[in-house]
Amino acid sequence: MGKQKMTPRAREEARWGWLFIAPTMIGLIILNFYPVFNTIYQSFCKTGDFGKGNIFVGLANYQAVLTAGETWQSLWNTIKYALIEVPFGVVIALVLAVFLNQKLKGTSLFRTIFFLPMVCAPAAVAMVWKWLYNQQFGLFNNIFHTNIAWISDPKIAWISVGIIGVWSVIGYNMVLFISGLQEIPGDYYEAASIDGATGINQFFNITVPLLSPTTFFIVQTRLIGALTVFDLMFMVMDKTNVALSKVQSIVYLFYTYAFTNGNKGYGATIVMVLVVFIMIVTFIMQRAEKTMVYHN
Amino acid sequence: MKMKKAAALLLSAVMTLSLAACGGGSSSASTSSGSEGSGSGSGSGSSGGSLTINIWDSNQQAGLQQIVDEWSAESGISAKIEVVDWDNYWTLLEAGASGGQMPDVFWMHSNTAQMYMENDILLDLDPYIEKDETMDLSKYYQGIVDLYTRSDGKHFAIPKDHDTIALLYNKAIFDQYGVETPTDEWTWEDMYEAAKKITEASNGDVYGLAMNTSNNQDGWYNLVYDYGAELITEDHKGTTIGSDAGKAGMEMVRKLLTVGAPQSVVAETGTDSLFQSGKCAMITQGSWMINSFYKAENHADYYWALLPYADVNGNGTCDEGERQSCYNGLGWAASANTANPDACYSLISYLCSDAAQTKQAELGVTMAGIEGLSEPFANAFEGMDVSPFIEMENFKLYFRPYTRNTTVWEDALQQQGAFLDAWQNPNDPEIMSKACDNAQKIIEDAIAAE
Repeated sequence: MGKQKMTPRAREEARWGWLFIAPTMIGLIILNFYPVFNTIYQSFCKTGDFGKGNIFVGLANYQAVLTAGETWQSLWNTIKYALIEVPFGVVIALVLAVFLNQKLKGTSLFRTIFFLPMVCAPAAVAMVWKWLYNQQFGLFNNIFHTNIAWISDPKIAWISVGIIGVWSVIGYNMVLFISGLQEIPGDYYEAASIDGATGINQFFNITVPLLSPTTFFIVQTRLIGALTVFDLMFMVMDKTNVALSKVQSIVYLFYTYAFTNGNKGYGATIVMVLVVFIMIVTFIMQRAEKTMVYHN
Repeated sequence: MKMKKAAALLLSAVMTLSLAACGGGSSSASTSSGSEGSGSGSGSGSSGGSLTINIWDSNQQAGLQQIVDEWSAESGISAKIEVVDWDNYWTLLEAGASGGQMPDVFWMHSNTAQMYMENDILLDLDPYIEKDETMDLSKYYQGIVDLYTRSDGKHFAIPKDHDTIALLYNKAIFDQYGVETPTDEWTWEDMYEAAKKITEASNGDVYGLAMNTSNNQDGWYNLVYDYGAELITEDHKGTTIGSDAGKAGMEMVRKLLTVGAPQSVVAETGTDSLFQSGKCAMITQGSWMINSFYKAENHADYYWALLPYADVNGNGTCDEGERQSCYNGLGWAASANTANPDACYSLISYLCSDAAQTKQAELGVTMAGIEGLSEPFANAFEGMDVSPFIEMENFKLYFRPYTRNTTVWEDALQQQGAFLDAWQNPNDPEIMSKACDNAQKIIEDAIAAE
């Protein structure tokens, strides 16, 4: 099939089409595509100070990053964080959404309350939690009369940080779930009630399967969000915290190398490792979608 | 319906309020205040009629702004000081240097000065110094002048101040547990004994002392030098932390830690907060921190003493080199790309003049960068005797250890594999000794990679 010549009208339309998407395209190219390729390039360089004088070193950075124990430890820390944030964030939000989707008094008040963490700046959230967790003066240890090093004990610090993450995302997930719930036609529930299904039965046999596209969307976006977490660890943990190496995420490690130590090339390589990892996770998720998500 | 409307209004009011609250909260948190600083910095910096100044110490902001305002009254150019906290200061300055938008005038520090000078990020001050008859670089502390001089002899910053370290103690705690307060004759062993008594007498409720790995300049560096080792040798090409002397110094640090606040506590609360909340009796502090203790609630209980010494030869007196204090000096530097280099130099020259340096000491901002002008500093804090900082100058001062890329090894020393393990388990001398060996290697590797 030869290339078909465009009619003047089609050409005109195409021109306008390009014009309309230009703002987005230009933004994407400058803010996303250019940095992406620059990062890939830098990961093969021993970068100079202030972005000047890069020297091409081939795979040396990759060799250093992949053989460093802290890379894998940080990746594992990130996975552990995601394993707390994503499942708990999704399940709790789903239960809340089901309750708040009913015609009860004060639903909008509760929706607002649960959504509030999303409105607050993550840095502010982290600072407040940091003081709640404080071993000496923190609210938790004072209320429960315990003396637990919530964020300095390597065994539990990752859970403490994970809890902040769950608390922060519940509201956002909940709002998505509520909009998903409102898409489900009421007839199903009506029919089920007539057949004598209890609320729990309805939840597992109607709500969960019909909500699966929304659930899948949330899981996928939150998973990527959790794998790129940085601000929580950065704000909550002091540099000299003994638990830091067991909690710091891979993006935190990247920040340390790229910005604190000024080694951009090494930092770029860490990011490349993360990118590959996220690509693998996304690929698996896309496969899973075909079997686990119920489409009407 | 009306009810619903009212409820909705109320809710949205709450939302905006909490938004504002969060906004306020985050601007006091480090990251956001940092980005604010840089944002407005680049904006007003290029307009020409005004200058932007970036510093990292909010304790000095008020006093310095007063001096800067005097300059503005003379020159007719307005200048505003913005504070960005230490960690973010360097991140933002480097981003500014790479992207070309920097504050006009700012502080330089020994950690990074070489890197900034070598890359022509800073304004070359020599042409201006030549024309300026009031400027005489020989009157400043030589170590600081050298620090801001590039290998080709050009000057890129003029000394702003210098600092020394002293011991801070809470007399009320010493009295409560019947322990004798620190004297100028104290050795580090005496400090250990006193801290031990307090920690034990209070059953761990109050710590005799607190020390943090990240406070190296006012903390463990001084012990390393007192015992005769050098963290970075004078030629900035090596270290002797792994030598016997270095290990002896760190062994003393380890002993102090066994009777001090555990690292897990210090990492969460910070030594100054512990001290100010009466949870710890002694900390070592630099002269730049006086203000925050002077303004503290219980400042009447706070006293300064001379830094303890190490009686290495065991003769019971403090000999040459047995009491050392780290000193460092900031420099006022300007951006090479500033729109108004003449105004920048004029401001720097003013800030480093005899009059402004004396005023800086009088106001209690910091000690002077010019030798012999720090005397008024001792009287700047009415009701608090800060003379140990001035007295320290009669003993040996060593310049803060630095290499071309200081942060790389400084950061690595705080982590696992270096001193973190020893800090965590201070009861095991083996770990500390091994940490010294590791530290030796970390620093050597870092210097080799520079």
